[in-house]
Order: sequence, then structure tokens, then C-alpha cells
Amino acid sequence: MSDVVTSTIGDHAPAFRPSYTKVFLAFARNSLVRDMTFRSNFIIESITSLSWMAMNLAYYILIYQFTVSIAGWSKMEYFLFLATTLFVNAIVQALFMPNCEEFSELIRTGGLDFALLKPIDTQFLVSLHKINWSSLWGALFAAGLMGYALWYLPETPSPVAFLLYPFYLACGVAIMYSLMIALAATSVWLGRNQTLYDFWFYITNFSRYPLEIYSGAVGDPIRVLFTFIIPVLIVVNVPARLLAKPLDGQNWPLAVFALFATAASLWLSRLVFTKAMRSYRSASS
Amino acid sequence: MAIIEIEGLAKSYRIYQKQEGLLASVRGLFRRKYRDVEAVRGIDLTVESGEFVAFLGPNGAGKTTTLKLLSGVISPSAGTARVMGFTPWKRENAYRRRFALVMGQKNQLWWDLPAQESFRLHQQIYCIEPAQFDRRLDELVDLLTVRNLLAQPVRELSLGERMKMELIAALLHSPEVLFLDEPTIGLDVVAQHNIQSFLRFYQQQRKMTVLLTSHYMKDVAALCRRVVIIAGGMIMYDGSLSGIIDRFSGHKVITLVFPGEKPPGDLSRFGEIVEEQGPKVKLKVDRNGIGGALSTILAKHTVEDVSVEDPPLEEVIAEMFSLATEQVKGREPRPQLA
Amino acid sequence: MSLPANYAPGFEAGDHSLARPNRLRIWATVLRISIEERLVYRGDFALGTLMRFLPLLTQVFMWSAIFYAVRRADGASTIAGFTYEEMIAYYLLTQVSRAFSSMPGLASMIALQIRNGEIKKYLIQPVDLIGFLLLGRIAHKLVYYVVAAGPFALVFYLCRDYFSGWPDATTMLAFLASLVMAFIMGFFMEATLGLLGFWLLEVSSLLFIYMLFTFFFSGHMFPIDMLDGLPWHLGTIVRAIPLQYLAYFPAAVFLGKIQGADLAWGLGLQLFWTVTFIVLCRVTFNLGVRRYSGYGG
Repeated sequence: MSDVVTSTIGDHAPAFRPSYTKVFLAFARNSLVRDMTFRSNFIIESITSLSWMAMNLAYYILIYQFTVSIAGWSKMEYFLFLATTLFVNAIVQALFMPNCEEFSELIRTGGLDFALLKPIDTQFLVSLHKINWSSLWGALFAAGLMGYALWYLPETPSPVAFLLYPFYLACGVAIMYSLMIALAATSVWLGRNQTLYDFWFYITNFSRYPLEIYSGAVGDPIRVLFTFIIPVLIVVNVPARLLAKPLDGQNWPLAVFALFATAASLWLSRLVFTKAMRSYRSASS
Repeated sequence: MAIIEIEGLAKSYRIYQKQEGLLASVRGLFRRKYRDVEAVRGIDLTVESGEFVAFLGPNGAGKTTTLKLLSGVISPSAGTARVMGFTPWKRENAYRRRFALVMGQKNQLWWDLPAQESFRLHQQIYCIEPAQFDRRLDELVDLLTVRNLLAQPVRELSLGERMKMELIAALLHSPEVLFLDEPTIGLDVVAQHNIQSFLRFYQQQRKMTVLLTSHYMKDVAALCRRVVIIAGGMIMYDGSLSGIIDRFSGHKVITLVFPGEKPPGDLSRFGEIVEEQGPKVKLKVDRNGIGGALSTILAKHTVEDVSVEDPPLEEVIAEMFSLATEQVKGREPRPQLA
Repeated sequence: MSLPANYAPGFEAGDHSLARPNRLRIWATVLRISIEERLVYRGDFALGTLMRFLPLLTQVFMWSAIFYAVRRADGASTIAGFTYEEMIAYYLLTQVSRAFSSMPGLASMIALQIRNGEIKKYLIQPVDLIGFLLLGRIAHKLVYYVVAAGPFALVFYLCRDYFSGWPDATTMLAFLASLVMAFIMGFFMEATLGLLGFWLLEVSSLLFIYMLFTFFFSGHMFPIDMLDGLPWHLGTIVRAIPLQYLAYFPAAVFLGKIQGADLAWGLGLQLFWTVTFIVLCRVTFNLGVRRYSGYGG
């Protein structure tokens, strides 16, 4: 009997680790196919995402009608900052936002069952399985804004800054992602949670301003909190300063700390995720 | 060779109890009341390799919870389970590569994409070699006759077609153990039959071990020799389908046809009259009293035709479920949890 | 489905002498159930209310930096007629306006119910859909105010230095009136948008555009006075459309920016817009229902 079993179902390939790159490419392809089948939806989403960006830019153009600088950031420097913010946003929205929202929904409805069955890292699977291609227009918009600002910036940043910029941008995205997936995972304990999304929005809101504005009796603790405890202030500030500000004694330590903060965020979010998956209850439909 | 070994497996949930009334709701803001619900209360079960086992039970009996425990989707509150030597809720990739779960109520295919795209994704995730993948897909697609549907978005498929695709997705990596949770729910008779015959054929050919939960007795009768009845989170019966009647039905049904227009009026003292149609009467008689009843009736009346049958299986099981549920209810109030 | 010929929203068939108290009881029950429903999600509530003030905090810092830069550059102490203190007070007050006028999820819920056919439930039952939703929203808001009163009071107390004392009784009354109208107007504007779901398959992009415009031109993001000096009469146009009543107007009233005849005129215009949207919503609903029943549901 057991002989028969091994001979009929023993045609398994040797247990390979799946290629995560290939799986990711399959996700990307499937998402694109999906987006293209709902083309009008895709166009509308692209337009809305772009108009949101335009509104953001318009707001700062308006403010710079009344002042020449904010917390030491000139208009063009601030545009670089804004472009970095939009970059991070676009990447987070394209890769992680739809997945994390769905993840929290899957936890609530019990749809996560299938993700848990797959012989592949569950966090990888739930974090990346959908890609929102229309959000990537934001990255283009940001690139345009960045090019414009760099053109008018009196001093061109150093080549080192250009080299480090994409790296720190990725660090920023990683920190945002960590926060988001950790928050989504808490749905396991908290149930339906629209507030989670709000919470993420409100917390990351702090990251969208230059850290110099947080000063004084209230500002200093806030700056410390969002740099060292929930390191969202690093996300945009570190890469944006690379381009807009000289790399002086004040900026280097922060850049080094950003490496540590990224690693710590990723590790902590992994911890929360694993713990949440152990408590998953699989609601029945 | 035992492929699944379960000992003392139990699962209880804490659920938030909503309070009635406005004041209580306000109080609920500050202090919540929880209640423990025991979905599975200590199950022991051994399944041999290559068996096709059915889980029967009323809604909320703990069938689905047991399957979810065995597939590692949830962790138990007590007990152990080994499937192919693995503890399911450790969720090791080595284990997850070797079994599959199909749920009639949930779907894992990408809703807006053709099924074949989801299959390709499976190929990547399960590291199925291209040649093997093509061969298996070919075979499954032919067996289930869905070749022309592969390129259609899943949302445009009928429920039956979708279920076939779900089965293909689950079988592409050639699992040794297959868990099926209500695979034919909501399907019409033809689709049910198609899926049954496919499962029977494929299981026999592949010698997979299959655990199936279903509401349809026809599924069970067609597929499984071994039936496990779960009610109130416990195993009430484990054996053959026909054994259920012997064990749980205290009655047989006597059908009598009398010569005249009307049957005699004194039949109800032998047992409950289930049906009366002209001269034909169906009597539900206690199993032990069959001999006595028959000889008395035959002695007193002229009878044209007589037959003694077991009651229909569905009835016996339904009776048993309500009995089991009442037994459990007697111990403590327990909400239904599917 | 088809509607009875004598169908009139808000009225029940049958004994009219009984209809009135009965209807009151129905409304009371609806209100009670909605409040209970809202209270179940306490975690959402407590967190949500606190979170609401976080963006405000960044605004305080941002404007502080901006005013500092302006003062240093050309010694000016106002921007578009607002001092730093007034600016912060303005943002705090728009939070109050938005607490009245914003209707999260209303329009998308209506559109969804139209799309998935759940709306039939209301068309069959002797309950007026819009009335039902309005009560649900009032319940929603009442619960919100109860829970939010604490945090609001705390934040305003902490920020009391940004205010130059309480306004006089007339201003206060005008402020309250404009808040109540902001709620009604916000509700009927969003409900109308949601009811467009009778004609459009997908209203979410429309809603996004509405949200974007509201965000930008209601005064939620900045006082619309800042637009006054801009080309193409942008300031004039924004003042002419009704969005300002959702955020800017009540806040400006409280700060005493609008007084005397301007105040009376402003309140009158707000009333006009409020009534307009009530009528518009009702008309949209009736037309939509007619279309819906025409298609046989």
C-alpha cells in the first residue's frame, strides 16, 4: 500500500524555495492584466491620483506667495522635499497600500485562509500580491517636480547625494511599510478597524514636513518621538536633505541612524505580523 | 500507515458579547463582556493513507474548524495533530507544499483574471516544474472538461465551473492530503455529480488521502466508505455509512397494502402512521417490535403486500443531529459557530 | 419593483391619526439602534477622536515657521489679514465646522445600496430613505460629539491663548446657526452625490473630486482669504460657490471676520444654499426612484 502511494504521488519536484522575484513578477503581471481589463477605472484612478498631487503642489505654491522660506527651506528646496514625499507616497500606494487594506479585510472576513496555506512567506504574499499601477503616475509627477526643482536650485547636489538618494528613499518606504503592515496586522485583535487607516494617515502626516518646524517645548518631544520611537520623520527628511542641504555634521548622524531605524522597523513589524498570524481566528463566511 | 493522527484536539474562541439596550452599549465602551465558545471539544481520530473520509454534522458542529486546524490556518487551544508527520499550525513550507484545502464558500482564484493566470502563479509559488505543470494541468482540464474556460475571467464563470477551477488550483501541486470543505455547496445536481465523479476517479487514481465535509448525503454516499459524525464539537460516530442506521435508528418502516378501499383503523397502536394513501399505509415501528407487530397484523387482517425497510439515511442522521444538539445544549447553552 | 401610486416618502399608508405618533416611534427606534450600533466600536471611537487633532498639531508648527519667516523677511505680522494666533484659531475652528459638515462614507454607502439593490428594502418599507439616513447620521454625530467633547474641550483649553476671549452673544448665535446649517447642507450635498448612483455605475471618482474640491476650497486646508490676491478672480469665484459654508464661514464668523450686514447677508446665503440642497436632494431622490422602478429594479 505505502509503495503505491509513494510511486503515484512521489512525482514532487525536490523541495525548492520558490523564486520570490518570479512570484513578484507574476503578481505585477496579473495586476497589470487586471488593471487593463478595467481600463476606464484605471484612467479615472490615474487622474484622481494626479489631481491630488497637483492640489498638494498648489497648496505650497500658494504658501510661497506669502513667504520666501519655511523653516530655512527655500521654495525650490521645499519642492525637492515635496517631491520626495510624493515619491514615497506613490511607491507605498502602488505596492503596499492596497495590500495592507485588503489584508486587514481578509483578517476580518476569514479570507486569509488561503494565504496561510501557501508554501511561501505569508508576509511576502499578503504584502505584495496586488500592485496598484495607477499610483505610479505619482512617481512620474514627483520625478517631474524634482527635475524642475533641481534645475532652479542654485547649487547642484553632489554625486554622492544622487547615489545615496534612491537608497534612502527605499529605507523611507520600508519604514512606512513596516508601520502599515504592523497596523493592519492588529486587526487580528481589534476587529473592524477603519481607524487603523486613519491612524496611519495621521501618524505619517508628521513625516510630510521638514523636521525643523518641530521645535520648542512641544515641538522637541514630538521631533524626538517621531525620529526615535516611531521613525516616520526620517522617511522623507533624510533623502530630501541629501539633495537639498549640504551634508554637514548635523545630517550625517541622522543618515546613519536612518539605517538602524529601517532595520529596527522591519524587524519589529515582522514580529507583530508573526504574532498576529498565530492569533488568527479565520472567521467563517 | 496513519497519515493523520489527532489526539484531544480542542479549539475555543473568545467572542465579544453585544449588550442589549442603549445604556449597556454605553457601558460597553468601557467594559466588554466576553464569552468562550468551544468549537471543537477534544477530538481523537486516525486516518490511514489513501482513505476518503467524510465529516458529517449539523451547522456549527466543528467540522470546518477541524479542517482549518488540520490545514494550519488556526491553532488549537489544546491537543495535538500530526499530518504526514507535521504539526499543521507550525505552517512549515515543507508541509504546505504537500496538502491542499478547497472551500466551497471561499475562493482563492483571482476574481478578475482568467483562471490560468492564477494557475501560473501557483506554479511559481509551489515551484512546479514547467513540464510537470503542463502535464498536470492538461490532465485536470480534460478530466473536468473546462479547457475552453481557462481564458475567461473567473467572475464570469458559473459556480460549478468556478469550483472546478478551484479544484484544479488545489491539485496542481499534486497534494498527498486534500481537505474539502463543502465542495458542492450551492451547486445544481449535474454539477454536483460531475464533481463527485471527478473526485472519486482522481482519488482512486492518485491514492490521495481526502477529508471531506458536506451537507449532501449524496456526496458522502458516492465517495466515502468511512463517515465521521461530529456534533457539538465532538465525534459521535466513526464507521461505515450503513452502520449509522444500525446504530442510531430504533425504527423500521413497514409498508402495507390492504385489499379494500381503506386500511383498518387500529394500526396506530403498532407504531406511528407516517403515510396513508388509499389502501397503502406506511408504519414506523420500533425495531424490537417488528416481529410481534407483523404477526399480529397479518393474523388479524388480509394484506395484499408487505415490505419492511430501513428509514432513509437522511432522516436518521437528521434525527441524530437534533438529538446530539439537544444533548450538548443540556450541558450548557452554546451558540452555533460554523 | 414598482411603487404604490400613492407613494409619498415619509408618509405611511393606513390610519393617519395613528400615523404620526407611530412614525415618531419609528424614528426614535431608528435613532436608538443607530446610536447603539455606533457604540459597539469603541476602540475605533476613542482612537479616532484623538487622532483627529494630530494633523492640527503639524499645522501649528508649520504656520509658526511660516509666520516666523515672514516676520523676519519683511516685518509683517499678518498673512491674508490673519495674525499667527488667528490662523491657529482658524484651523481649530474649522475642525469644529468639519465635525458638523463632514459626512464620512454617506455618499458611497448610498451609491453602494443602490448598486447592490439593498435600496429596495427602503422603498418597500414605510420608511423614508433620506429621513432614515439623516437620523442615522444625527445619531452618528451625536455619539461623536459625546465622545469628542472631551478631546475638543481639552485641545481648545490648551490652545486658549490663540483666542482673544469669547465672542459676543450675536456672533455666538450666528456661529451656532451656521454650524447647524453646515450639518444640514453637508448631509444633503453628500446624499445628492450618492443618489447620482441611480444614473452612474461608479460614483467613487466623482466623490473623490468632490472631496478634493471640498478639501481645497471649503477653507479646510487654508483660509480662503489667501486666494484673494490671485489671478483669474480665483478668490471671488471660491467665495461664490457654496463650499465655503462647510468650513470657512462658521470659523470666520467666530473669529469676528464677518460682521454686521455682511454677517446677515452671509447667513442668508447659507440658508439659501441649505434649502437649495434639501430640494435638490429630494428631487434627485424622486427622479432616481422613478428611474429605478422604471427599470424594474
